[in-house]
Amino acid sequence: MTVADSRRVLKPYPRSGRWTEIEAGHLLRRAGWNSGPDEMRRAAAEGLEATLRRVLNTQAETTEFTQASDLLYRVARETGEIDNLKAWWLYRMVNSVNGLTEKMALFWHNRFATSYAKVRSVEHMADQHELIRRHALGSFGQLLRGMTQDVAMLIWLDGNANRKRHPNENFARELMELFSLDVGNYTERDIQEAARAFSGWHVRNDVFWFNRLQHDDGQKTVLGKTGAWGGRDVVELCLSHPACPRFLARRLYETFVSRTVPETALEVLAHRVEVHKYQLRPVLGELLGSELFFADEARHALIKSPLDLVVGSLRGLEVRPNLDNVVRVLRELGQDLFEPPTVKGWEGGRMWISSATVLQRANVAAELAFGEKLGQPAEPLQVLKRFEVEGDGEICGHYARMLLGRQPSEGLQRRLVDFYSEVQGDRSAKVRRLLHLIMTLPEFQLM
Amino acid sequence: MECNRRAFIRRMGTAGLISTSGIAPAVWSRAAAAAGGSAADRILVLIQLAGGNDGLNTVVPFADDAYYRARPGIGIPETSVLKLNDTLGLHPQMAGFQELYDEGRLSVVQGVGYANPDRSHFRSMDIWQSARLTVDGSLDGWLGRALDRSIDRHVGTVPAMALGNERLPLSLVGHKVIVPTIRDLATYRLQLGPQPAVNGGLFRSTIGAYVEEQQSGERQLEFLRQATDAALTTADSIQQISQEYRETVPYPASDLADKLKLVAQLISGDLGTRIFFVSLGGFDTHAQQQQSHQALLGELSSAVRAFSQDLKGHGHSDRVVVATFSEFGRRVAENGSLGTDHGAASQLFVVTPGQQAGIHGRHPDLNQLLQGDLRHHTDFRSVYATLLERWLEIPSQPVLGQQFPLMDFI
Repeated sequence: MTVADSRRVLKPYPRSGRWTEIEAGHLLRRAGWNSGPDEMRRAAAEGLEATLRRVLNTQAETTEFTQASDLLYRVARETGEIDNLKAWWLYRMVNSVNGLTEKMALFWHNRFATSYAKVRSVEHMADQHELIRRHALGSFGQLLRGMTQDVAMLIWLDGNANRKRHPNENFARELMELFSLDVGNYTERDIQEAARAFSGWHVRNDVFWFNRLQHDDGQKTVLGKTGAWGGRDVVELCLSHPACPRFLARRLYETFVSRTVPETALEVLAHRVEVHKYQLRPVLGELLGSELFFADEARHALIKSPLDLVVGSLRGLEVRPNLDNVVRVLRELGQDLFEPPTVKGWEGGRMWISSATVLQRANVAAELAFGEKLGQPAEPLQVLKRFEVEGDGEICGHYARMLLGRQPSEGLQRRLVDFYSEVQGDRSAKVRRLLHLIMTLPEFQLM
Repeated sequence: MECNRRAFIRRMGTAGLISTSGIAPAVWSRAAAAAGGSAADRILVLIQLAGGNDGLNTVVPFADDAYYRARPGIGIPETSVLKLNDTLGLHPQMAGFQELYDEGRLSVVQGVGYANPDRSHFRSMDIWQSARLTVDGSLDGWLGRALDRSIDRHVGTVPAMALGNERLPLSLVGHKVIVPTIRDLATYRLQLGPQPAVNGGLFRSTIGAYVEEQQSGERQLEFLRQATDAALTTADSIQQISQEYRETVPYPASDLADKLKLVAQLISGDLGTRIFFVSLGGFDTHAQQQQSHQALLGELSSAVRAFSQDLKGHGHSDRVVVATFSEFGRRVAENGSLGTDHGAASQLFVVTPGQQAGIHGRHPDLNQLLQGDLRHHTDFRSVYATLLERWLEIPSQPVLGQQFPLMDFI
């Protein structure tokens, strides 16, 4: 490694660094969908390296899980009902041991945002989803290549466009703007030329069909390179453009670390993306084990998406969910799987928060705490027994730490204890009240 | 797939309005707005007439023989129309609109459409809602884009709401702003848990005090604290509105009236919302048009009339403009089932506070049809441009892609 290279490495989180349930929770929330208290405890005991290995490498699922997932998937494809496909994916998010795969599947779904509302075929949406899953932690290059021939994507981007008016210019534009380079790294001319390269990329009888007769095989200049480019070539030109690793690095950083992306961090991460040739698993391994991932600036820096909030809570409270109601709640909160609002996906971040959604989130907390429509949480008294938590102060501290991922401030702890002692009901009821309160706090919206 | 679409249209027709979940949005921090007349106070209420309203039987050119020749079965007799002038009259069920016209508040904008009209409901509705003649993958709405572009002005508030829709109407889809949908005010309250009388107060005061007092140095946390504080405060306001609001006139018993009453309450609650979107379905009158169409027009007219009077009673008339739109008009000639098929150009209504009301634009020539349909002379985006610039004070060119000539109904 040259001196220059050694500066362009993500400094790993030191072995001597603090590693408690707090740090473990931070990793498990970000790299998956949160975890129940047992897993937090185990991760804290095992250490960062072992936990990271577990997070990154595909673990075997239980037989029960596999059977349930397969059944739900079959039901979805056979009934052709999109809500069934949503329920299937949700089941996986809530129950899978491979949370990072599910998280990356969502990441890609958001990047290549395609909506059932326009595609109107569960089969095509599921096929696209399978393509995503195949490459979720694999090669971005392979995924991008596959996406450009994916039927759902082709339908979605043609949309209702009049075929006489350059349908593929839209395709070429989204490819560069949204899928690989970001605005500012290509010109309108690049799009026009790229569109020529994609001429003949059609869908016929519900499959991708290269219509040779419609293809313009003349010389084209795209991103500074001239040749008789076809669609595949344009994809390669995008992938080899220096803006592409930065594009991917930025999205990964914003998803896993923080929406504030310092240039130095971006540069290093983009370099790592390049070094690893767009392979996600090693890049994520370096990112999730890095010092900057565990730095103060990264803690509690992300606003939970509806999925983070709901699925995270279901897992954290060990709820057996009513999937249909969960799908409904997610829609109300603004994140309807397989139906992103526009081709730009879910903007996320502060855009999840409005007065309406704050109230909705608070009311979801109520539903979860008091075990109504979304499913029943694990009996609090059992949980407390397992963790040998006794007094009022201990109980408040335990749940605050578990749910908020941090030690509560003095002021907060005092309020929680006061509330807990004053609230009426038996111990189980009091704890549920406490859960409700904690999940309504602004802190709970952060991860 | 065809069968899905037919089923969808049927559902929209019979149910009319699809209730949805959702919670009413609320204001965050109200910018101190100048008393009345400031753009910050102005409100636009859009009423979608879903299915393709038959404009020809809504504002009837009763003096034109060609009308009666084309519509021997369903033409509205001259003796029945509510005359607006020597040549045009409203459908007899629209007494409410006639009153608005007499008060100088109703504009009839004629000949509205777009070039190369599409007679597919979905396509044409997408065109009207996105304000794009070629619908590409971006699928955003004209109001969504307008809100995205004016985001600084309404940071923290919820600037628009859709009432009674399952899915957010395309018009309101933006890339940054999330526009919520509401069913009713009762659902917009903070859940207090079981037996609210026992522990509800303690919960409410604990969370309330915490978000009010506990400031933080962390940016994200502070943002959320303020959001939560505002949400709780406004939930209280909304509950108050729903308890205290007294309509100054009786609203008719109809879905549209219920929704407009909800809008009136929300306007009264001073929540900072500037755009409301409601939908009235069932206008796809292919067969036996007379009864269903008259019921719909009656519903539209009486609900809007009551709404405008109620607003007046609460002193909000000057702040509110109501506009209708539909995906297309209908064919001039009636079909064999005493109905009409999908057409092209039509008219729309705008109810304004000012006195510029009247008939805008000539009636399309019934003898100069385009494949049996009325020709448009006014691009619908001119109507939008006018609403955006003259009413909401949002530049229209960036939203619509080009500058459309403004009209003078505002």
